[in-house]
Amino acid sequence: MRRPTLLGTFGVMVLLGAGCGIPAASDVRVDGKGGAATEAGVISRGSEPPTRTASGTLQEVFVRNFLSAAAGEPDRAYERVKAFVAPEDKIRLQDKKGSEVALNVVRLREAVYTPNRDLTTTVKITVQQIGVLRANGTLAPPVATETEYEFGLRSASFDGGVDDDRAGLYIIDPPNVLLLSDTALRQYYQDETIYFWSSDRTRLVPDQRYRPQAVPVERRVNEVVKWLVGGPSDWLRPGVVGLPDRTELINNATGGNGRWEVNLDMPSDDQNGIDQLITQIAWSLGDLPGQLELKIRNNAQPVVILGERRNSHALYPHAASPLRFGVYDGAIHPLDFEGEPSGTVPLAPEVNRNVVSASLGFAKDRRILAAMVVTGSKNRYRLAVGTGVEPVSVLSRSSTEYSSISRPVWLRMVDSRPGRGLVVADGQLYRFDETARMYQMPLNLPSGEVTAVAAALDGQRVALIAGGRLYVAAVNLDGGGVSIGPPRELVTSLTNPTAVDWGREDQLVVAGSVGQPALYEISVDGALETPLRTDLGAKVNHLTAYPSNRGVRAPSGAYMYEVNGVAYRSSPFERIEPSRVRGIAPVPAGVRQSNPSAPFFLY
Amino acid sequence: MSVRVAGVLGRAHQTWRRSLQVRVVTITLVASSLLVGGFAFLIADKITTILLDSARSDVRQRVTSGASYAAKQVSFYGQPQEAQLQETIDGTVNYLAGGDPQQTSGVVVAITADDYPNDIQTRTSPSANVQPLISPELRAAIADGKVASQIRTGRLTDETTKYLVYGSPVPTRFGQIELYYLVPLGRQDVTAADARATVVATGVALVILLGLLAALVTRLVVNPVRVAARTAQRLSAGLLDQRMVVNGEDDLALLAASFNQMATNLQRQILRLEEMSRLQRRFTSDVSHELRTPLTTVRMAADLIFAERDEFDPAVARSAELLQAELDRFEELLTDLLEISRFDAGFAMLDSEPTDLVPVVHRVVDRLAGLAERVGVPIELDLPGTPVIAEVDPRRVERVLRNLVGNAVEHGEARPVLITLGIDETAVAITVRDHGVGLKVGEEKLVFNRFWRADPSRARQTGGTGLGLSISLEDARLHGGWLEAWGAPGQGAQFRLTLPARAGDRLTTSPLRLVPADATLPFGGPRDGNPRDGGSRDGGQLAIGPGTGGALAIGPAPAGDGQRTEVHS
Repeated sequence: MRRPTLLGTFGVMVLLGAGCGIPAASDVRVDGKGGAATEAGVISRGSEPPTRTASGTLQEVFVRNFLSAAAGEPDRAYERVKAFVAPEDKIRLQDKKGSEVALNVVRLREAVYTPNRDLTTTVKITVQQIGVLRANGTLAPPVATETEYEFGLRSASFDGGVDDDRAGLYIIDPPNVLLLSDTALRQYYQDETIYFWSSDRTRLVPDQRYRPQAVPVERRVNEVVKWLVGGPSDWLRPGVVGLPDRTELINNATGGNGRWEVNLDMPSDDQNGIDQLITQIAWSLGDLPGQLELKIRNNAQPVVILGERRNSHALYPHAASPLRFGVYDGAIHPLDFEGEPSGTVPLAPEVNRNVVSASLGFAKDRRILAAMVVTGSKNRYRLAVGTGVEPVSVLSRSSTEYSSISRPVWLRMVDSRPGRGLVVADGQLYRFDETARMYQMPLNLPSGEVTAVAAALDGQRVALIAGGRLYVAAVNLDGGGVSIGPPRELVTSLTNPTAVDWGREDQLVVAGSVGQPALYEISVDGALETPLRTDLGAKVNHLTAYPSNRGVRAPSGAYMYEVNGVAYRSSPFERIEPSRVRGIAPVPAGVRQSNPSAPFFLY
Repeated sequence: MSVRVAGVLGRAHQTWRRSLQVRVVTITLVASSLLVGGFAFLIADKITTILLDSARSDVRQRVTSGASYAAKQVSFYGQPQEAQLQETIDGTVNYLAGGDPQQTSGVVVAITADDYPNDIQTRTSPSANVQPLISPELRAAIADGKVASQIRTGRLTDETTKYLVYGSPVPTRFGQIELYYLVPLGRQDVTAADARATVVATGVALVILLGLLAALVTRLVVNPVRVAARTAQRLSAGLLDQRMVVNGEDDLALLAASFNQMATNLQRQILRLEEMSRLQRRFTSDVSHELRTPLTTVRMAADLIFAERDEFDPAVARSAELLQAELDRFEELLTDLLEISRFDAGFAMLDSEPTDLVPVVHRVVDRLAGLAERVGVPIELDLPGTPVIAEVDPRRVERVLRNLVGNAVEHGEARPVLITLGIDETAVAITVRDHGVGLKVGEEKLVFNRFWRADPSRARQTGGTGLGLSISLEDARLHGGWLEAWGAPGQGAQFRLTLPARAGDRLTTSPLRLVPADATLPFGGPRDGNPRDGGSRDGGQLAIGPGTGGALAIGPAPAGDGQRTEVHS
């Protein structure tokens, strides 16, 4: 009885023990082919800076290439620059890692090459420090104060004697910083505009970034989202808000073929905030078409078509095509040009008098905001402000008269809050409201006298000229007041700027002097300069521009200015003749016809 | 030790042979163990397979989506040297592992780049050395662009665990990197073990239950059978009033009822036969006794007449002689009948004493010498030179011998009769060989029948009663010995008396052969060289003696009752 039972149980155990259970090791089980290989080959890349030997033994070209070498992805900037440095001197260039990598962007003024006895060449370059290009693509104000750098050149050929074209040259005794010339910045970087929400979260404010062209376009979304996560430029911070704290991009933003996927780790899951974030990303991606799938901690949000999102959430909702106006004989008149729309003066005739300069703008529901400098008594001026639907027939006047008042500017808002503007009077910056009350704005600037102010289309940024220097600053419109953040000085080639306005979202049109009066377009960080006119002959005392933006097709003449009492417009560049002024009585023959002055755009 | 094992095995074997219950239970246990074991194996195997398959498909899904995620992540990079590639791989691994290194589900995600060992470092999350767990074969399969998996046992964190290592190639623009998921199978292992334990426990319980059930059922069936067997044993031992208990109306009850019916019928029949037999014997005995008294008177008268025969005329004198002779025969017949009836009544008593058989033979031969001389048959003796001592009743032995030798002389046909005496350790034997007409086939059995004659038409020459061999057979049987006959037509006959040397011993062999050495066998086959078993192989020479008791004639006689019913002749 016992024996068979034991036998049976034993048999069961053996069967179970041997045949069942998860084995300790198994054979390799192949499930089939893995994912289809992505298209092999090199990614489409933009231009990259030339290598050390590309210049041969041409010293000037070599130095230029050296000043371009740092361009590209910041991680390998030191590596690229060190490739130019003689092996024995590489140790002098101390590596920095990650976000500490910063490129000193300089404007090369002069380079002096002095041959030495030992067949080396000493190079002394004179530079203007423009700013520091950080790893996050922002160009911060310059830290270094050097205006000169000195280093040596030697042949890279082994015998050290004859220069060998193929061996090229080496930098010896290099400066212990990464230098990047402004031309290299222009050549090897793509400037991108990303957007941050204003601090009251009513509108998007542009922020300028530089994307190395070495970064393949496929990574553009990734870079943009990283920038957004990283937060706005320092000078913008008072006026805008970044993404919520501790927001992180989870790995890379991926995609292609018109579909992009962004996965964020974000503490807030406020749906409104997420929706705004999508809008922010959509605009920050420029004109990129396709679909965006945003995931917040892996929770997918509805897929958004980028183009549709941009169409439905305009950056500048109330900015229409600009209409040109000018002041003629103390009254505002429309200026007519072929092929351009022109409007009527939105002021009642009884208040359209004694105007020196004016600023008109549309607010919500096509309400007109009108601010004018009108003549007071004995060469003194007052600020007159009127608001309301067209035509504006009531003006409030400032209680104080000033000996000089610059052209007032409106800080444009998208909602129906009362309009607010800025104006410079007697060297002081004032803000004014719809009742023409003026409040002085304290500015934390070394030299006090403010000569010009210009507000960007978004109303959150202003450009200032104070003490002969050009500044930009963020504006905070929270609550009822207006406050201006710490101004950031722009280092430009221009001296003695006299007038400024915003020519584009990230470009200023600045009138100043480069030995002679000139008109430059300068990027909002001062790094990129484009001469617009250098043959003005005299100082520009009035400058106005319509900021071309992605909301509205730019008109042919994006800016207008006044020199020596004569008004001009751009593209085509021409003088604004009195014949352009609509609604003026014909001047009898022999009488010298007065010129239209203080031209401005209504938008 | 081995003795003990042998003892246990022997006992087990004995139990196996004797107990139907043990056999049924054992067979049930073995069969159900095999069956249940097989099923348990299948079920446990199935459970394990299902667990593994679900883990596999789960991991496969993760690997596939992970690989496509990783492929997207690294698709920006055209060269393995790119600076942010390693960072991206780190991030990807962390992301795929669940992002939070603290939150450990035990799953380890790893990205390796076997093709670019200098540019890309292996990354795992949570950090662990996964290299030992990724076998070269798996690497090769994945390097070949296949999604593949393998189970490996290893130690990544605290303890050695089985891991399901799943790998997939991650295509990139510069080549291929590899994504591995190492998923611990601890939970599945525990579940499988639990399931296995449950299945085994259930199986064992089932087997035991089946065994108990088989034991119970067998017991239900076997018990009445045992009772029936016991009852039958008792019945056959003579306890004719034994009956089975009838319970219910089932098959077993039917068996018991039929058994009881049979027992009742048998009992009735036996009792009737016994009564008839008893009456017959009584009748024989009574008749013999009743005849003796008048016979004595007739005898005395006849003796008187016989003594005075010379005075009568010759015809009357001849009648007186005839009367005297026939009275002698009548008296002999009566004596034999009485002797037979004593045997039949069971009153025959053995009066054993150690006896030398040689003088007994001589005495018999001497007594029959006259008759032999008259018919011209020489009697030859083959006796050992030493005394042949056996514990026998000399009177009966002498009677048997006298009978045998007398028969031999009578049927000797003037040819010699040989008497041989043999002895061994256990038995003594005497053969009487004649060379007369012999016995026909089948007559070896018949010669011992009462009043049997080989040729009924032949006149009786000698005064044989026809009961001599029957009485001799009874005498031999009373000794526990054998009386056997052999004969063949034309070859004469031989009778053999075998007796145990000590009274009460059982006979197994005879010192002398039943078939004489000079006999020719009809088929020329091998002779019965081993006469001790003298049995069924020599069917022609075997005779069964007549039954002496009614009870013994109807059933197998219980062994060891001391009385042989099967008598070799």
